[in-house]
Amino acid sequence: MSGLEHVDDYPEIPVSLASTSTILKTGAWRSVRPIFANRMAPCSAGCPAGVRIPAYIDDIKEGRLEAAYATVTARNPFPRITGRVCPHMCEDNCNLAITTGEESISIRSIERWLGDAGMDLPDPAADAETGKRIAVVGSGPAGMAAAYYLRRTGHEVTVFDQRPQPGGILRYGIPEYRLPSEVVDEEIARLESMEINFHNNVALGRDFTLDDLEAAYAAVFIATGAGQEKLTGIDGEGLLESGLDFLEAANRGTATLPGPRCAVVGGGNVAMDVARVLRRLGADVSVLYRRTANEMPAIAEEYEHAVADGVHFHWLVLPRTIKKDGAQLRVTVEEMWLGEPDESGRLRPEPTGVTCEMHFDGVFSAIGETADTGVFPPRLRNDDGWLDLGEDGETVDQMVFAGGDLATGPATVIEAIVAGRRAARAIDEQLGFSAVWPAEEPLEVVPPKDINLTYMPHHDRSDDHAAAGATAPASFAEETDTLSEAEILEEIDRCLSCGHCNNCGTCFVFCPDGAIIWDDGPRIDHEFCKGCGICVAECPGHVMVLVNERDVSHA
Amino acid sequence: MPERLLLTGNHAAAYGAMLSKAEVISAYPITPQTMIVELLSELTASGRMPAKFITVESEHSAMAACVGASSAGARAYTATSGQGLALMHEMLHWAVGARLPIVLTNVSRAMAPGWSIWCDQNDILSQRDVGWMMLFAESVQEAQDFIIWMYRVAEQVFLPGMVGMDAFILSHTAEPLIVHDQDAVDAYLPKFEPLYDLDPAQPRAYGGLVNRDHYFELRYKIYENMDRAGQLLVEAGEEFGDVLGHKYTPLEGYLLDDAEYVFVSAGAMTSNVRQAVRDMREKGIKAGLLRVIAFRPFPIDGIRSILAGRRKVAVLDRNMSAGHSGIFAEEIRSALLGQPDAPPVYGYIVGIGGRDVRVETAMDICDDVLVREEPEMALFVGVKGLPIGPLRKDASIRPLQPLEVMR
Amino acid sequence: MRWVVPEAEHMAEGTLGCQGCGGALSMRLVLKELGKDTVAVLPACCWSIIDGPWPVHALDIPVLHTAFETAAVVATGVKAAKEIQGKDTTVVAWAGDGGTFDIGLQALSGAAERNEDIVFICYDNEAYMNTGIQRSSSTPTGTWTTTTPDQRPEARPKKDIMGIIAAHRIPYAATATAAYPEDLERKVRAAMAIKGGMRFLHLLSVCPPGWKMEADQAIEVMRRAVRTKVFPLYEIRNGREYTITRWPDDLPLEDYFSLQGRFKTLLEDEAMLELVRGNVEERWQILLDRHQRSHPELAGAE
Repeated sequence: MSGLEHVDDYPEIPVSLASTSTILKTGAWRSVRPIFANRMAPCSAGCPAGVRIPAYIDDIKEGRLEAAYATVTARNPFPRITGRVCPHMCEDNCNLAITTGEESISIRSIERWLGDAGMDLPDPAADAETGKRIAVVGSGPAGMAAAYYLRRTGHEVTVFDQRPQPGGILRYGIPEYRLPSEVVDEEIARLESMEINFHNNVALGRDFTLDDLEAAYAAVFIATGAGQEKLTGIDGEGLLESGLDFLEAANRGTATLPGPRCAVVGGGNVAMDVARVLRRLGADVSVLYRRTANEMPAIAEEYEHAVADGVHFHWLVLPRTIKKDGAQLRVTVEEMWLGEPDESGRLRPEPTGVTCEMHFDGVFSAIGETADTGVFPPRLRNDDGWLDLGEDGETVDQMVFAGGDLATGPATVIEAIVAGRRAARAIDEQLGFSAVWPAEEPLEVVPPKDINLTYMPHHDRSDDHAAAGATAPASFAEETDTLSEAEILEEIDRCLSCGHCNNCGTCFVFCPDGAIIWDDGPRIDHEFCKGCGICVAECPGHVMVLVNERDVSHA
Repeated sequence: MPERLLLTGNHAAAYGAMLSKAEVISAYPITPQTMIVELLSELTASGRMPAKFITVESEHSAMAACVGASSAGARAYTATSGQGLALMHEMLHWAVGARLPIVLTNVSRAMAPGWSIWCDQNDILSQRDVGWMMLFAESVQEAQDFIIWMYRVAEQVFLPGMVGMDAFILSHTAEPLIVHDQDAVDAYLPKFEPLYDLDPAQPRAYGGLVNRDHYFELRYKIYENMDRAGQLLVEAGEEFGDVLGHKYTPLEGYLLDDAEYVFVSAGAMTSNVRQAVRDMREKGIKAGLLRVIAFRPFPIDGIRSILAGRRKVAVLDRNMSAGHSGIFAEEIRSALLGQPDAPPVYGYIVGIGGRDVRVETAMDICDDVLVREEPEMALFVGVKGLPIGPLRKDASIRPLQPLEVMR
Repeated sequence: MRWVVPEAEHMAEGTLGCQGCGGALSMRLVLKELGKDTVAVLPACCWSIIDGPWPVHALDIPVLHTAFETAAVVATGVKAAKEIQGKDTTVVAWAGDGGTFDIGLQALSGAAERNEDIVFICYDNEAYMNTGIQRSSSTPTGTWTTTTPDQRPEARPKKDIMGIIAAHRIPYAATATAAYPEDLERKVRAAMAIKGGMRFLHLLSVCPPGWKMEADQAIEVMRRAVRTKVFPLYEIRNGREYTITRWPDDLPLEDYFSLQGRFKTLLEDEAMLELVRGNVEERWQILLDRHQRSHPELAGAE
C-alpha cells in the first residue's frame, strides 16, 4: 500500500473511504466471460426476409414506433401486406412454443399492426440521387420491393405493368377479404410519394421489348410473376376454368358463378382462395385434392377458414375426365391412396383404379401456377424454358435481373419481396454504388435449450380476430381486424426476445458484482466481472453467452 | 452553583455521568452496581439528563451499544460489576481498537463461583491488558469526579477508561458529595469531538479487515496514546483543581517524606490503611502510604521516584493472580526492577471476597513487614487458621467431608 | 428496463464476494432502496470480507464493523446517538445466519423486544460460510457441511427465526430473496416506511461454494427454494398479520435439492427426504393457515 511507509501515515483506526473497492480488479478471477452474442432468433431465421422480429417488437414495446417501422422496412417494405397474407414461417420455430407448448408469438398480427400504425410514417429519405434510371417490369410484390429499395438508394425508378393498376398478385390475385385493395392502393401511393413512376397497361413483348428497356435504362428488373394456371392433364381440360383468372375477375368485380355447385381442383392457397370466393358468391363448393389435409400446401389457417366458410373437401381424389352433360359438368375422379414420400417429403398419391362420378356446374383448376417466359429473348432462358438466373436474379445480360414468382414459380409474397430486395442490392452494387444494406449472413440461431422462461408472463396468444360485422362467407370485406395497441402490447409481452437484447435489465439486476453497467442498456465491465455466469443463465432471450477467457485473450 | 449532598458511591457515579453530559447510557443491572442504573434511569426519564438510556439484555450488549453510540459520535457511559465486566471483555477490546472514549464505572465485586457480591478487585484487574485506562476511586467524591476526569483525558487520546469503585464499601456508603456546578464542568469537559461519527455524507468503513502489513502500526498507536494519557492525566488532574476545586493525581502520597516503610494500597480500603499509617507513626514507626489511583496508564516514573531508597514496601492487594502474586505488588516490582535503591517489595493479599480490611489488618501487616527478613511474592493475610505468610508447601486437594456443624 | 428496481448503485465493483455470491447481490439490491442516508452495522460475517480489506470499502454508506454477536445492539447504539443528534438516518444491522440465529440471537431478541428503531437484515446462507462451511442453527435437515459430514448430515430442522421474531411482536418482519428482486425491494420499502420500531428482513442468500453448486444457478436455486415452499415469501405485521407475497407452485422439492451438492446424501436417503417433505409441508400449512386467518376477506382466493 503506497503512502503507508511510516506509522505516522496511519489513521487512528482502520477507516476506509467509500467505493475504494474498485482498486481490486476482480475480473482477474474470471475463467469464463459473458459477452453479448450476435445471435439470431428462430423467428428471424425462419423469415425469408430475415426481418429482425425481436428488435422491432422491442421497439414497439418501448414506444419507438418509428424505429420499429424502420427495422421492418429495412428488410420488408410492406408489413401491412405481409402482416395480412404471409404464411408466417417466422412463427413455426418460436422458442416459446417449443419450450412451453404454448402457442407461438402472434408475429404476423404484430407486423400487421405495425404496418398499419406505421402507414403514415415517412419512409427514410432517399439517398443522394444517383442519376441512374432503372426499369422494373411487373408491379407485384417483387417489383414493388425492388422499386422501393432502388428508390431508397437514390435511383430513379419506373415500374411497368400490363394491368390497369399496379399491385400484381396483391391486387388481382389475393381476394379482397384477405387483402383489401385499399391497403394495396395505400402502399402504391406510398411508393408514388417516394417518386417512383408507375406505367400501367403496358406489357413486355406487346408494347416494348427487353432490348428497348436495356437501351433506355441503366438496369432492368423483371418480375412479371407466375400468372398462368398449369395444365391439369385432365381429359376435358378445356372445360376447366382458370382459378387465377377467376380470382382476378373477382377482384375486378366482374366474376360470375357458372352455377350453384362448383369444384376446385388443387390444395394450394389459390385453391383455397377460389373456393372461398366461390362461397362468397353463393356457390356450394367442393375442393378435390389428391392427397389429404396433412399434405396440402395451403396455409393451415386458410384451410381452416375454408372449412369455416362451409367449403367441402374431398380427399384422395384425382379428376381424370370432365365431360359436359347439359348445363352440368360430369367429373370422373379416381380414388388415390398415399404411398411413400416423394422428393417434397409428402406422401405420394398412388392410383387405386377405383373411380366415381361427381356433378358440378363449374370446375376450377388451381393445381399450381407457372410463368410465361416466352416474351423473353432466348438468351435469357435455359433448356427448360425458365429464366436462367443467378442467386440475386442476375441474367446473362449484365444489367438485367429477374425475380419473384417469375423466377421461382408460385411462392409467397415475402419471398417475392426478398427477391426484389436482393436484386435491388445487386443492381445498386452492379452500378458501382455502395448503399448500406442489411446483413444477409446467416447467424447462429438461439436454440430452445438456451431460453430462460422464468420471466415470461404466461397468457394466451392473441390472433387477429374476426372483423366486426363480417359474417363469412357472405362478405368481401376484410375478414379480420388489426389488433388494438393494447392487445399488441400484451402479445409482445410474451416474446422472449431470443438473441436480441431488449434492455430488460435482468442481467443488470442480478449481477452480484455490479459489473453490468447501465447506460441506456447493459454493458459488461470486464474489469470486475468474476464470470459467475448468472447474467447468461438468467438472460431471458439468451442474448449473452459465456466464452472461455483463454479463447478471448488469444483472440 | 455546586451542591453539597449526602450520597452513596453509586449515586455519585450517576451524578458523574450526568455532569459529564453522557448522551447515550446503556447498562444492565448487577449487584452492587444497580443503583447507578436506577438513578440514571430516573435522571433520563425525568428529563433532567437529556440522554438515551438503553436497557440492554446483557453487559456484553451494554458495551456493544456504547460502541455503537460512541462510533456515531455520542458520549457513552455504562456501569457494571464483576461478572458483568467479565462478560463485556470482548467489547472492551473493541472499544479500544475502535478508539472510542467510552467511560464505565466498575463496582468491583468478587468473581463466581461461589457467588459473591462482595468486594475484591479481581474483576477489574482481569481487564488489565485490554487497553482501557483505569482509575481507582477511594471516596464517593472520587466516584463522581473520576468519571469527569476520565472523559477529559479519554476524549483527547481516543481511548476508553474505567473507574473502579469497591463494592459496598464505597458503592453503598453515603458520604458528603460536592455536586459540581454544571457550567464549571462544561468548562472543564468540552463537547465531545469524535474522530468520526458515521455520517452518511462521509460514507466510510470503520474497523474492517486489516492484514498483517498494517495491524501492528495501528496497535502501536494505541500504546503511544496510552502513554500520552499518563501526562494528560496529570495535566487534567491539575486542571480539575483549577476549575472544579480539587486537584487529582495518578499517585497520592501520605506521610511519605521521611517514610522508611511504605504501604501501597488502591481503592476504598486505602482509608483504613491511611489510619493505620497514622497509628504506626504514633508508635514511632516511620510509615507512609502510597495510593495508586491510576493503574493504566501505570505511573511507573512516579512509583520509581517515590519508592526509591525506602527500607521496605508493603503492597496490599485486594486481588490475586493465582500462580503469581497480588497484581499491584507485581506491577510495582516490575516498575522497580533494576532501579538503583529499589526497595524490597512485600506482597500482601487481603480482603478477598469482601473480607474486611480493617485498620487492624494493616497494623498486622505492619508488624509482619517490620520483622520479615526476605520479601515474599504473596503473603496471605487473614486466611482462617493461618498466620500471615506465604503459601503452605504441603497443600493438598481434600475431598468433601461431612461437616458436623451442618447436621 | 422491465424491472422496477432503482438504478442507483450504492455498492461499488471490486467486492470480495465469491462468484455468484447471494450476500453481495442481496446487499446491492437492498441498498438500492435503503439509499444513501443509511448506516450499516456489520458483525462478523462474509460481508466483513466482501466489503474489502482496509483501506478498501465497497459501499457508499458508512459501515461499522463490529463483533459477531452484537449487530442488533451496536445498531441500537448507533441509532441512539443519531436520535440524540436529531438525525433521521436509517440504521441497518446486516448479519449472516450465525450472527442472527446463533451468536447474535440474544442481542437481536433484546433489540426486537425493546422495539428498537433499526432494520435488522439477515442474509441467510444456512451455514458458517466465512469460516469454511460449518453448520449453524439455520442449516436445514439433511444438509452436508464440514461439521455435518455425509456420514452424519444435519439432523435437525432449520430454526424458525421468523417465528421467534414474530413472537416479539415487532411492527414488520418479512422473508425475501434476491431471486425476486421486486418483492425484495417492496419489502425494503415497507420496512423503511415504518418509523420508530424494529424491522426484520430474512433473506435467503445463496452461497455457491457452500451449497456446492454452479455459480450461474445462483438465482435459479433461490427461486426454486420459493417455488418448492422451502423458503416461502411472506411478511408479518405486528407479529400477527401474515401475508404470503409469492405463491409457490408444485415444483417438487427434489428440483431444489438436486441443484446443490450439499443435499447429495439427502437425495439418496428416502426416509430423510420424507421427513424433510413433511417438515416443509407442515411449515407451509402453518403459514397458510396464518395467512388465511389474517385475511378472511381473501378466503378461497390465492
